[in-house]
Amino acid sequence: MAAAIEATARGCEVTVLDESARPGGQIYRQADPRLQGTEFAEPTELARKKRLLGRFDEIVHAIDYRANAIAYAAFGNGEIHVQVGDGTEVLRPDAVVLATGVRERAIPFPGWTLPGVMFAGGAQAILKAQRTCPGRIAVVAGCGPLPIVVASQLTRAGTKVAALASLRSPLSILGSPGGLWHGRDIIREGVGYGRSLLQAGVARLTGYVPVRALGTGHLEAVQLARIDEHGQVVPGTVREIACDLLAVNYGFIANSELAAMAGARIRHDPDGGFWLPETDENGRTSLPWLFAAGDTAGLRGALVAESEGTIVGAAAATAVDTAVATAAPTVAASDALTEAIAVRSRYSRFARVVRQTLSVPVALWRTATDDTVICRCENVLLSEVRAALESGHHSLNAIKRNERPGMGWCGGRMCLHSVAVLAELHAGVAPGKMMTPRPMARPVTFAALARQKRAAAE
Amino acid sequence: MSTTFEFSFEGKPIAAREGQSVAAALLEAGERCLRIDEAGNAKGAVCGIGVCWECRCGIDGVPDTRACITVARPGMIVRRQHGLSPCADT
Repeated sequence: MAAAIEATARGCEVTVLDESARPGGQIYRQADPRLQGTEFAEPTELARKKRLLGRFDEIVHAIDYRANAIAYAAFGNGEIHVQVGDGTEVLRPDAVVLATGVRERAIPFPGWTLPGVMFAGGAQAILKAQRTCPGRIAVVAGCGPLPIVVASQLTRAGTKVAALASLRSPLSILGSPGGLWHGRDIIREGVGYGRSLLQAGVARLTGYVPVRALGTGHLEAVQLARIDEHGQVVPGTVREIACDLLAVNYGFIANSELAAMAGARIRHDPDGGFWLPETDENGRTSLPWLFAAGDTAGLRGALVAESEGTIVGAAAATAVDTAVATAAPTVAASDALTEAIAVRSRYSRFARVVRQTLSVPVALWRTATDDTVICRCENVLLSEVRAALESGHHSLNAIKRNERPGMGWCGGRMCLHSVAVLAELHAGVAPGKMMTPRPMARPVTFAALARQKRAAAE
Repeated sequence: MSTTFEFSFEGKPIAAREGQSVAAALLEAGERCLRIDEAGNAKGAVCGIGVCWECRCGIDGVPDTRACITVARPGMIVRRQHGLSPCADT
């Protein structure tokens, strides 16, 4: 949104491909206007949402905004393939900004496929965009800020939160007071969420993680425990808690498939989004026409994403003006750009502190047992991934070809990072290289492909 | 209050509000198992945003429709899919 606003201000013709039905992305996701009720967020967060959506609303009529538009392929020649409605279209813009965000980092454990085990952000999306409580009695678990926020919002919405299990204490960030000062307004929101948890008397379990989900046909209880460095349950720490919702989040994985498919250089950052396109300070990838903004280029949160959107929008507009081949043209200064650079710098420092709370020990992947599903779409078990590794299939491509993880409906977005971690854990393979991403990055029907519009060649 | 209406899930009436997704209405009604996968495992909504495809149902005869991003409409017929077989005819 911010990139579109800035590129429009600089005179570009802008097309926005939005996978959602309405602008807002994940953080500022909007409910259907017919649904009433609140999303239980802190007022300052809602004010930020209103401000950005308002700014976007001012330009949306001047641009080609497409809702429910699914970009499923990007190629090195600059083509972007997109599904809109029941057809597809090939676009060939002068510059492309990827703001594809992140997905939640799943970590498999026994029972995690039971209905009722959700990602914490998924539970929040049901609350925020559907005005619906996703469960009656919830256990919330994981690391970083999201489980705290979600537990608090569930409490405010009337769901009983039986326990909030955190990998580490939220107070662990106090060791970096300098970074915290830069995010003091966000900390204040965190305190607001924490207050709701205290008022509701939510039990806090620090150092505990879900080690098993139990139930017949759907979730009935979860076992939380402390684990050692081998992923073994520390004796005497198992706590079984009855619930119909387990909302778990262990950080995020960047949606970098389109960048990789186009041929951009990819780097590996285990807790900052896993596989990320390499970008310069203007968001330019190793391909001169391709840019990445926000968490797509490295996990730093919504405030960095918004300011970086402005910076990258300006750079992309400059790339359009100066012809794509130019290496790194100078971006003309503006007040909006100067402010965005300052805001990005400030919140990037805060993000570095928050990021410490998102690092997870690989022992978490050792909680999976041989019969634990790793790839949910293709029902690939841990024993099958290990069998492939033991047969010498070490690359993700080879494991995929032999056992099918990542070949199902979700395109590997739930499991491939886990397969990479397991390959490192069980066969010592460096997780730097991602699976070769091929079209389709999203499932597309043959009927939609048959109805393809192609811009006339210039 | 937003208008409420009903759709059917496995032949049972489910109450929904205008603008609510099929998955949200089913969760509100306590229906957590939305699909039986190829291995016989019960599956429900996971990511809530259309990424994981676990909540795919047969909706008005169209198989593999994500319940979490499909807005419920009055009289919709939603079926649980079993394995690879497309949902039975409505």
